[in-house]
This record gives sequence, structure tokens and C-alpha cells, in this order.
Amino acid sequence: MDENNNDAIAARRRALAEALRTGEPVVVTPTGEVEMKDEAQENGMSGIQVPDGKLAKED
Amino acid sequence: MAFYWYQSDPDLYQAEVAAMRKFFPSFQINQLQDGSGRLYWRGCVQPMGEGGMVWDLMLIYKNDHPHATEGEYGGSIQILPVKPRLKDIAARMMPLLEETYGGYDNAASRGFGLGLPHIYRQNFGRNEEYFICTADPKYFKAGQTRSTSAASALSWACKWIMLCEMWINGEISDDVALEGNY
Repeated sequence: MDENNNDAIAARRRALAEALRTGEPVVVTPTGEVEMKDEAQENGMSGIQVPDGKLAKED
Repeated sequence: MAFYWYQSDPDLYQAEVAAMRKFFPSFQINQLQDGSGRLYWRGCVQPMGEGGMVWDLMLIYKNDHPHATEGEYGGSIQILPVKPRLKDIAARMMPLLEETYGGYDNAASRGFGLGLPHIYRQNFGRNEEYFICTADPKYFKAGQTRSTSAASALSWACKWIMLCEMWINGEISDDVALEGNY
């Protein structure tokens, strides 16, 4: 059961990372949790949408 | 004469406070006690949610806020993790990176010279500290009518923390962590 739960959490993290990479809308809740915008809305959570902005690329 | 941005532009100060109160109400604003007059927000976030690390952060305005120039990662709002301290995490990661890449020089040439991806160092108080590179400065808005707020910078920082934790956990590769696509 725990293993399934951990797999689900890891899959969700990968989906979030992919969403960030591809520029899909992602929000940050008041506790700082990073969420997909659609999921957050479905769960009634509010948050600030992460603005466009890539991490500085190392030279 | 108004010397600091929050004195010369009280509307901007009010907008900054309103944005933080709306999106991150647990954060508190204060002034550094180092004579610089710089304002900062402090509070905790947990970007990975339940089970993830809790990060105690300082969001420190530079006195030229809003401002961003090339090489000024994160613009005029610096993000300093107080706990965990990036320098401590980097010190734990560096031996692993040196082992992976066959020495410090090779790790540094890959972009891991400080032990973590997308960070920079600067003196802060009596210590040298490591700060989060929240975004390439070209994304930091510093116009007269629209500027990047501390709330936006904090959302970038939460994104960085999530990716950093995933990298430390081995969930994303070194190449992905270093590339400029996030």
C-alpha cells in the first residue's frame, strides 16, 4: 500500500516537473506547495501562478 | 529625501505587501538590522507537500528594486534559504559530484562548481551564503508600470526547491537539473 502510494507521489512529481518544463500552468499554494493549475482548481485550492521564467542557464 | 525604493514609491511597496498577504499570508516583512535599510520577507514553504522538506526562507529586496541586469540572477529580490542552508546541502552533495565526474574541476566545468544547480554565492553579513537563482534576469520585470513582485519570486523559488529536491532524490538527472528549460 505504501509502495503504491510512493509510486503515485513520484509519478505526480514527474508530471509536475514535465509541466514546468513544457510551460503548462503551475500554481504555488499559500504553503508553497507546487500544483498543476487544473488540479488545484479541482481541489478548490488557490495560489499564485508561476510566472514565465526559466532558471538561469549555466555557462 | 526618499532614499529607499519603498520610500520613493509607496504604491509599489503597498502592491508588494498586498501580493504577499494574498498569496503567502504567513510571511512577515521586516528590515535587515545591518544598516542597509533593506526589507525582507521571512516564512516557511513546503513545495513538495506532505513528506517534503520545510524551507525557512528570506526574500531580500535589493535597494534598487525593481531592477535586473545581466548576471543578476533573480533580479532585485534575493532568495536565501535559512534552513536548510544551501551551503550545507552543497557541502554534502559535492563529494558525490566529484566522485561522479572524477574530481572538482570536472564537476565545476559541468556547472556544479558550487555543489548545487542554479545557485550563486554572495557575502551576507559576516558570512558568504548561497542564494537561489530563481530566474534568468531577462524574465524579471523591472518596468515603471509592471515589476516582478516578491510573491512571484517566491513562486519561482518554490519551483526551484521542488526541482532541487527531485534532483537530490535522484528523480531527475544532472543534465535535466542543469539545463535552462525549467
